[in-house]
Amino acid sequence: MRLTAILLLAGFLQVTARTAAQTVTYSAREIPLVRAFSIIEKQTGYVFFYDEADLQGAKPVSIRWKNTPLAEALDSLLAGQSLAWQINGKIIAIARKQIATEVGRSAIPAGDIRGRVVDSTGSPIAGASVLVKGTQRGAATDAKGEFVIKGVEGGVTLVVTYTGYEPRQYKYSGQTGVTILLERSTSPLDQIQVIAYGTTTQRFSTGNISTVKSEDIEKQPVDNPLLALEGRVPGLFITQANGLPGAGVTVRVEGQNSISGGNDPLYVVDGVPYPSQLLTTTYGAPLGNSGGPVIGGVGSPGGNPLNYINPSDIESMEVLKDADATAIYGSRAANGAILITTKKGKAGQTKIDVNMQNGWGRVTKMLNLLNTQQYLQMRNEAKANDNSTIAASDYDLNGAWDTTRYTDWQKELIGGTAQYADIQSSVSGGTANTNFLVGAGYHRETTVSPGDFADKKGELHFNLNSASANQKFKLQLSGSYMVDNNRLPGNDLTPTAIRLAPNAPALRNKDGSLNWAPTSTGTSTWSNPLAGLNKYYQNKTYNLFSNAVVSYQVLRGLEIKSSFGYTNMQVNEFTPNPLSAVKPESRATATRSAIFVNNLSNSWIAEPQLHYNAVIRRGRLDVLLGTTIQQNNSNGQNMAGLGFLSDAVMQDIRSASSVQVNSSLNAVYRYNAAFGRINCVWEDKYIIDLTGRRDGSSRFGSVNQFHDFGSVGLGWIFSQEEWIRKNLRFLSFGKLKGSYGTTGNDQIGDYQFMDLYSAIGNVGNPYQGTVALLPNGIPNPYLQWEETRKWQVGANIGVCKDFLTIAIDYDHNRSSNELLPYSLPVITGFGNVTENFPATVENTSWEFSVLARAVRAGNFAWSSSINVTIPQNKLIDFPNLASSASASVLVIGQPVSILKAFHSLGVDPTTGKFEFSDKTGKTTFGPDYSSDRTVLINTLPKFYGGFENSFSYKGFYLDVLFQFVSQLGPRYFYNNNAGAGQFNGGLGNQPVSVLNRWQKPGDIAPIEKFSQNTTLNSAVFNERSSDYGYSDASYIRLKNLSLSWRFPDRLIRKAKMQYCQLYLHGQNLVTITNFKGLDPENRSTVSLPLLRILTIGVRIGI
Amino acid sequence: MKELIYDRHIAERFTLLAIAASALLSFAACKKLVAVDPPVTSITGENVYSSDATAISTLTALYTDMSLKDNHFNNGFPMISLYAGLSADELTLFDLSNATALAYYRNALTTNPPTGVETWSSCYPYIFICNSAIEALTKANALTPAVTQQLLGEARFMRAFFYFYLVNLYGDVPLPLTTDYKVNSLLPRTPASAVYAQVISDLRSAEDLLSADYLNGSLQKYASSEERVRPTKWAAAALLARAYLYTGKYDSAELAATSVINNTSLFSLTTLGNVFLKNSREAIWQLQPVTSGTTNTQDAYLFILPPSGPGPVNFVYLSDTLVNSFEPGDQRKSAWVGSDTVGGNVYHYAYKYKVNASNVPQSEYLMMFRLAEQYLIRAEARANQNNISGAQDDLNAVRARAGLPGTAATDKSGLLAGILHERQVELFTELGHRWLDLKRTGNIDAVMTIAAGKKDGSWSSDWQWYPIPLNEMLKDPNLTQNRGY
Repeated sequence: MRLTAILLLAGFLQVTARTAAQTVTYSAREIPLVRAFSIIEKQTGYVFFYDEADLQGAKPVSIRWKNTPLAEALDSLLAGQSLAWQINGKIIAIARKQIATEVGRSAIPAGDIRGRVVDSTGSPIAGASVLVKGTQRGAATDAKGEFVIKGVEGGVTLVVTYTGYEPRQYKYSGQTGVTILLERSTSPLDQIQVIAYGTTTQRFSTGNISTVKSEDIEKQPVDNPLLALEGRVPGLFITQANGLPGAGVTVRVEGQNSISGGNDPLYVVDGVPYPSQLLTTTYGAPLGNSGGPVIGGVGSPGGNPLNYINPSDIESMEVLKDADATAIYGSRAANGAILITTKKGKAGQTKIDVNMQNGWGRVTKMLNLLNTQQYLQMRNEAKANDNSTIAASDYDLNGAWDTTRYTDWQKELIGGTAQYADIQSSVSGGTANTNFLVGAGYHRETTVSPGDFADKKGELHFNLNSASANQKFKLQLSGSYMVDNNRLPGNDLTPTAIRLAPNAPALRNKDGSLNWAPTSTGTSTWSNPLAGLNKYYQNKTYNLFSNAVVSYQVLRGLEIKSSFGYTNMQVNEFTPNPLSAVKPESRATATRSAIFVNNLSNSWIAEPQLHYNAVIRRGRLDVLLGTTIQQNNSNGQNMAGLGFLSDAVMQDIRSASSVQVNSSLNAVYRYNAAFGRINCVWEDKYIIDLTGRRDGSSRFGSVNQFHDFGSVGLGWIFSQEEWIRKNLRFLSFGKLKGSYGTTGNDQIGDYQFMDLYSAIGNVGNPYQGTVALLPNGIPNPYLQWEETRKWQVGANIGVCKDFLTIAIDYDHNRSSNELLPYSLPVITGFGNVTENFPATVENTSWEFSVLARAVRAGNFAWSSSINVTIPQNKLIDFPNLASSASASVLVIGQPVSILKAFHSLGVDPTTGKFEFSDKTGKTTFGPDYSSDRTVLINTLPKFYGGFENSFSYKGFYLDVLFQFVSQLGPRYFYNNNAGAGQFNGGLGNQPVSVLNRWQKPGDIAPIEKFSQNTTLNSAVFNERSSDYGYSDASYIRLKNLSLSWRFPDRLIRKAKMQYCQLYLHGQNLVTITNFKGLDPENRSTVSLPLLRILTIGVRIGI
Repeated sequence: MKELIYDRHIAERFTLLAIAASALLSFAACKKLVAVDPPVTSITGENVYSSDATAISTLTALYTDMSLKDNHFNNGFPMISLYAGLSADELTLFDLSNATALAYYRNALTTNPPTGVETWSSCYPYIFICNSAIEALTKANALTPAVTQQLLGEARFMRAFFYFYLVNLYGDVPLPLTTDYKVNSLLPRTPASAVYAQVISDLRSAEDLLSADYLNGSLQKYASSEERVRPTKWAAAALLARAYLYTGKYDSAELAATSVINNTSLFSLTTLGNVFLKNSREAIWQLQPVTSGTTNTQDAYLFILPPSGPGPVNFVYLSDTLVNSFEPGDQRKSAWVGSDTVGGNVYHYAYKYKVNASNVPQSEYLMMFRLAEQYLIRAEARANQNNISGAQDDLNAVRARAGLPGTAATDKSGLLAGILHERQVELFTELGHRWLDLKRTGNIDAVMTIAAGKKDGSWSSDWQWYPIPLNEMLKDPNLTQNRGY
């Protein structure tokens, strides 16, 4: 009854509640309790709620408050009264103490200290440590925040500490019950970091962990949360495949450990593992891949699963890098782990947040290509050089196409403006015992190509937390459901846009129909790019994600807990190949076909755990023990329907005259593990962290199904030492840390150890009416884990009250027992076999980050941060490399991604052909690919990082993030398809750089003579595979800009809002680079470059 | 005292912790929790050879896959008709922007970018299937003996078939005969003579093992409407005759060809219009098309020109050399050659297969072996043994069917020239016969020097061998490259 009343009132009262200080100052003698309440109401904006009957018999109170925290003030008022208080949002509820508590308290002998620890909202803090200064006495608080230290008299000082809060010294003078309030720390060292099965802070962590918070994620107009990490996290390198919405994203944490197995980090969303790659039956071609392994000869699918998580739902993302942070994830975390924590409801008044933005995107760069005159000159010169005549299929020269026509195909095909719209809203609130958050979002993004293409997403997200009155039982439930409908061109038009002859015909006839520019006999002279758009790509994805955590505190410090997760992702893809995309003259014999992909992957996980924490003498001990049971089910079919009667009915597979299954997948993955962690912090000075895990996975043969992983982490907070404190006063924090441990990698796909046969796909008319079975590959029953040994040393320094915090880490990872789809010559029957190979790959990286907190001058404030990573990758060992199938791609002592290249000698002035140096240094025109590639090209970044600056002035806030990378990339000097002078089905245009070519004997030029000759074309390929084929692709990019203005409080209050903010966000705004191709970030010269996106929006809180 | 109490509490807590922990760990490290059954989409290798139906399906898979990849997008084995035809003087390339076709056409195969790899990369995976079937079938005892015997025969026949083409296109080739990838990945090239020896030994064994009757998909005799889509004893004899001929064992070639020709209950030379129909009486072995949509042969789809003439899809037509080599009155020119007149140019095309429409009933199958070739093999074998009249009889049998008079040649060299010419006009665009004939008869340099000029290319004797794929050489360090690449 009373509770209902509070809840009902809450909504009404909160609106009027003012933001006010949470301390009170007042002195009075013997005033009635209700009078004291009204003083607090006036000073704090909090509202008291109580039953008059409970206050009958309340004693008058004497007050001496000076900036006394609210909780302490309330304690002093109610000391000796039979009343208790509780804060729910802005309401202070006063009620009679429960009898049980009274009995419990009276049972404690006098002379013990008892009390409770709360945060600024009055919510209890469980697990805080309370030590009696100068002794080894202490206790940890229980779920209600209460503690008891026995046998201690008054007049001592209590030292109260808890992760993420300012430590507090509290003078205890002997009262019977104390409430100690901890303020959240503002030091960056004390920001909460989510780790595997728990939380920590940078202050007490011994691992290498980076955190990106929702504030930074929200500033970026991106559809995949991974893209919000770019440039913000040392040791993390992210590449977006192309500029389409939903594009693939490749993520590497501290480099490539596996030579050709999976190199993806483990993703964990709210404790539930999340897939790093989509199923192999996925088509996804236009989206580009996410750097997944090539499993069983099937290319990695397009798109990225994280695209189906709403960035706005995310509270924080943690990147776990070293063994200390990741060994507890055992076999799955050799490539690091990325933890995603979604937003949770918070105790407090119900509030509504709405965020709307609208924007525009354009490609970041266009190429400088030949115009018609230059193009025709090139073509004719090639003909002349070849002594060749104009052929019947040379439509660009023979008069079929207007030789005076010019079209800027880049402008025509990828020069449009993409529309960007995003609306997010949420409602949250609740009491200390139960709170909730419900959010909904809508997102729409179109492309820069002509046609009706868009990616539309709708999403719902909820979170519910509840605790029993005694705070012992807790329940947390969250879930999200996203529906994504992505419709894109079936093929990226970029290659066509940069290669189509500039005098190619108009896209449309005068009557608006597609122009096929037929010859007099009816043969189409080109493939109209707009017709190609009739082959679209449609992806509908439904992603359900849910998890629950139930916990119960059995005894003080001992909690039994279990988390449960269920995920379900359904992907339906549709790619039609209608007759309207086919040249008219071929339609009579062509068949309509369409690809249908239906994928369903779901997984469940249960992780029962025990958590124990205690204060033992001068130390804090945390023990975790748990087990994981997990199963993933994957089902997928990639089917084709053929022989549709009309383009209009192609979405219905029943209308196909025949249906064939191209590939199907049905896989079960089971995983079982036991894990544990012991963490001890002694005197806030010495830290030891031990973790271990025993893992079993169904991906391996019965011989090697289980394996153990573990780590040890040590930390020394030397700034806590007296002699440092005395001598280095400017040093507010200093920690040395190190860790060593093992992690594993099982990213090889399921069933690789089994000898399996599967039915052939694509068959519409079975041979002799029977099914045909083909072997899947060469089986290997001895498969086992790939193991990565990691060690790390680092330091965290805080200067001038943590105004400046510096983190330096050196990480050293060695992967051995490499799981390789070991490349084989096809004479063995297959291109590869999955094997454990005794090769060793080493990744090292230096990671630096410096963070300067705001410098204030009046209303102006400036803060800044920079991070730099210097990575190195090296193949340490590869037995018998020279005689192995990898001899041509790997070099010991070099990165595993090293490229072998010819040494180019440029164009021979006499003949006009490219010349190369062979292995003996002799000049040759036709170098031998297997032996003459003597130059090594390292395309790994030399260093990379980000530089961020934030400025604020009154309500204005400006944040600028620059991303920088120093690296090599392919030089763009030919069109990546053929030599200059060729005309491949209409695609023959070249960059203007080819004009600098050899024309006559004696010419010194970087480009060989124009020709259609195949051997000269082969030389172009060789030149591209030479040292001249690579050049600097370093860049500095204004990755993100965010400018916002917050309405003044005065206006806000009038409008009865909590806040209102207008903003402008930009992504990929400016790029400074020498790279001549389209985009230096993915170093692509032929795929749609990343978009430059600018949005304006408004954020409102009610 | 108080310290003691404190510690006892801790001890109690640890005991509890230990009990709870052991309860928790009873879930963990349990084999059952990580055991999985094979996926429902697959069957394990052990089980495949434990029942007749699944064992048969592994060989059926070979024919299915070959048939499935019968188009130039998949570059499967049957594309040899196109590529070897382009390499020789049979086909003219219209669409010069087709880089793969152009490389074959101009005899300008390169290792980088890799061209000329199609037959290599389609044959070796099939050879793996043959090898694994032979290994499993020699051990399998759960199968019906007749099934084991037929499948062993099919596997040996198919292995010989693929090696025959590999050795003819690439020269010395590696000769894996097991599934052991550790051994196979390091194999050097085996001399062509040894490859031929293996081909002949496999074929002789296959001839003994294979059924004399055509069998259905369950390896039973057909009750009615027999299809000629599985290899039989006669297919083995036919390839054996060819292999003996190519290796100069003329007496054996004659014997093998005779065994096929004498089987008149199954085979006879039918009228020109019926040769390429499914289950024609001339067929020794055919491949059934399996693709949906285009339910007849892909050869028809590729070679038959639309009224608009050649273009990017139908990018080849018959060379003038071939068209002009038909004797006057040769009915094959009208029955098997079509023509298009576009803008004053006449384009001739191979019209052996006539159905290129989609979604029509199957009436044509892809011909792998047919009787006419056996006559020509025997004619050549007899001529080489100086059996002039016997050779004339066989040659005339083929000529008569084409409406031509008997050969005028009366001596060995005249007959050999006549037979080579007859093969050119009889077997054009069928699995590269012309290219192989030019090479084995030593006529290649003379013919190709002229042909190369017409193709705007050039000729070197080295180019009669396709290059060993560079990728294979990079992975198998014991492989060497052919001369001239």
